[in-house]
Amino acid sequence: MMSERILVTGMGIISGLGYGKQATLDALCSKHSGIGKMKYLQTIHNYYPVSEVPMSDAEMMDSLGISSQTIITRTPLLGIMALKEAFIEAYLDKERPRRIAFINGTTVGGMEKSEQYYPDFQNTEAYIAAHDCGTSCEAIAEYFDGFDMITTISTACSSAANAIILGANLLKTGRVDVAIVGGTECLSKFHLNGFSTLMILDKEACKPFDAKRVGLNLGEGAAYLVLEKEQHAKQRGVQPICILSGYANTCDAYHQTASSPDGQGAYLAMHNALEDAHLHPHDIDYINAHGTGTQNNDLSEGTAIMRVFNDNIPPVSSTKSFTGHTTSAAGSVESIISILALLHNFIPANLNFNNPMPELSFCPVKDTLTKKMQHVLTNSFGFGGNDSACIFSKID
Amino acid sequence: MNIYIQAAAQISAQEPLSHAWFQHPLPLSERYVRSVEPDYKEYINPMEARRMGKILKRALATSLNVVRKTGINQPDAIITGTGLGCIENTEKFLTAMVRDKEMYLQPTYFMQSTHNTISSQIALHLKCNKYNTTYAQRGISFESSLLDAYMQFELEKIRTALVAGYDEMTPDYFVLLDKINYWKKGEVNEAILRKSDSVGAISGEASACFMLENKKSNLSVCELKGIDILYNPNQKRIKDALEELLGKHNLCIEDIDVVMTGINGDKDNDAVYNELERNLFPSIPLAWYKHLVGESFTASGLAMFISTMALQEQVLPASYLYNGSSAIQGLKNILIYNHFQNKEHSFILLSSC
Repeated sequence: MMSERILVTGMGIISGLGYGKQATLDALCSKHSGIGKMKYLQTIHNYYPVSEVPMSDAEMMDSLGISSQTIITRTPLLGIMALKEAFIEAYLDKERPRRIAFINGTTVGGMEKSEQYYPDFQNTEAYIAAHDCGTSCEAIAEYFDGFDMITTISTACSSAANAIILGANLLKTGRVDVAIVGGTECLSKFHLNGFSTLMILDKEACKPFDAKRVGLNLGEGAAYLVLEKEQHAKQRGVQPICILSGYANTCDAYHQTASSPDGQGAYLAMHNALEDAHLHPHDIDYINAHGTGTQNNDLSEGTAIMRVFNDNIPPVSSTKSFTGHTTSAAGSVESIISILALLHNFIPANLNFNNPMPELSFCPVKDTLTKKMQHVLTNSFGFGGNDSACIFSKID
Repeated sequence: MNIYIQAAAQISAQEPLSHAWFQHPLPLSERYVRSVEPDYKEYINPMEARRMGKILKRALATSLNVVRKTGINQPDAIITGTGLGCIENTEKFLTAMVRDKEMYLQPTYFMQSTHNTISSQIALHLKCNKYNTTYAQRGISFESSLLDAYMQFELEKIRTALVAGYDEMTPDYFVLLDKINYWKKGEVNEAILRKSDSVGAISGEASACFMLENKKSNLSVCELKGIDILYNPNQKRIKDALEELLGKHNLCIEDIDVVMTGINGDKDNDAVYNELERNLFPSIPLAWYKHLVGESFTASGLAMFISTMALQEQVLPASYLYNGSSAIQGLKNILIYNHFQNKEHSFILLSSC
């Protein structure tokens, strides 16, 4: 039995590429990366390039009509900005379906404030309660009001992808009418120092899938997709964008912070997502890779891509060379980038690539390519081997 | 579709990895209560255990306990709920970062600071490549995990699932939350908590782990009939959701033998349950458990452990009764109702099998 199709009916995004889908598309097409000199994050390690959202907290609060006295951290602010765009596109600002689920992915919640006020939060006690991940989700939900259920997924860098998966399951079981899914994470000293101690940050712009790659650049951002069943979208009269045709979540179960040499978790995620979508590897027109630019990830993921696609490897690129690694938001940021590529029939470039990896049978796409597309696959992998893949397809 | 709880394990303020205490739980008399640690040797190599934070040791021990009881060593899903994640490791990294001004940091604590360290460490130990995820939504972190599993059983994506709730409370984080009135000031005991006339609860820790399966066997302890979570619901929304859940099983509110509430002594928290009692459950006995295990983001996992025991033993001892003083015998349906700051609400329906 084929279950009813799950459609994407709204998308909103904010990242180092700017605010909104149009700014994102323009940057991708003109190969204009968001990675550059640090501006907002206050750290002694300011020599690391990052991809920051080009707005201060105050600017975002002002544009959202949030009083400057409000206790809110940067992560939910980014989330509200992104969700607002998705809301309008899906007509949710006009008429609210009764049962809306909001599923948010985040890893360190209000850490960006906690690390400023730690250890005693002198005169900033109100931020103590803003520390945990769930508060960021509540803060976003409170701004929009009227959600029937909310929850937070915290699987590090695959959080947003797993939010997409939960949202789809909520729709398939008929528990909700609309699921808003994605993730948000701002830059923090905590993350920057953490990745720095693991020695996986590049001091220059990252070079995913390059033989001379040395690490990743951190980014920040938020992105959300509005999901609903086909019939429901039709009834509401909302224009569908594309189909969420398949997804899978697996675990590499190899090491807490390293990926397995054979990419077993990544292999299973892509393989199972294809199976879920009832598609064959040759049906996929583009892979938006997790492609962090670390030695370990790109080899493991590349090996897994070779195992799944054999001699028929579709164009691959990592758009982290544009957005940096937006951690918890990466799954939805890159889903939206993949969908933009699908809709506009182009493959975004994998910037800074020069030297093929000897271990791999393929090279990433170096320059923007025009290609007629039907199905795109996007990978999101996290610490602990939390690997997920999602497939989006054009509406015929 | 049916889902059975095949095994349960807990570590809390009561006797760890045991249910012997269920009939005679120890009363609590301090406002900060940490879990009683079991002997981990049976589950974790001591060398490895030394490098692990408390929450990870507890998670591994309870998980391996239910894996051994059921023989299910490759569950189709490993799903963890944790409000604060590995807060001990997070704090250690954060403290060093702030104290040493971002210099001389080691990666160890960062590597094991993320919430999903727990689920992934369990998968690592079981070498399990299947579905693996983590929820962190304050007081419904555990329920979100249960809901995820429930839906995947419904969609026939899984046949077995390891579902758990874990939270640890460090001394430093206890102090921070104390500043914003999470915890009772001064003396605490059952009588004081029952009064619900001041702010704050007892700070506890929770580790509760369950193996779920879609087939009944001689291991089956009880049945998980339903789970729902709601955000900012009004009384009508709660009533509708509850009746919908009960209706699916041809049950009505009167069929519930006892409501296991999250009453914890905090006046605002408890007022919500009093209102629910008046509007929804005027004739059904209320039970409580946070006076015996303390409050934490995943305390409701322990409510499920206690309810599972009650359905197995067919008795809910008087220690758990909030109104009424004699043990309830012959239980068929238990409703676990929990809310967090009147924002996130959840209920879980368990039935004897």
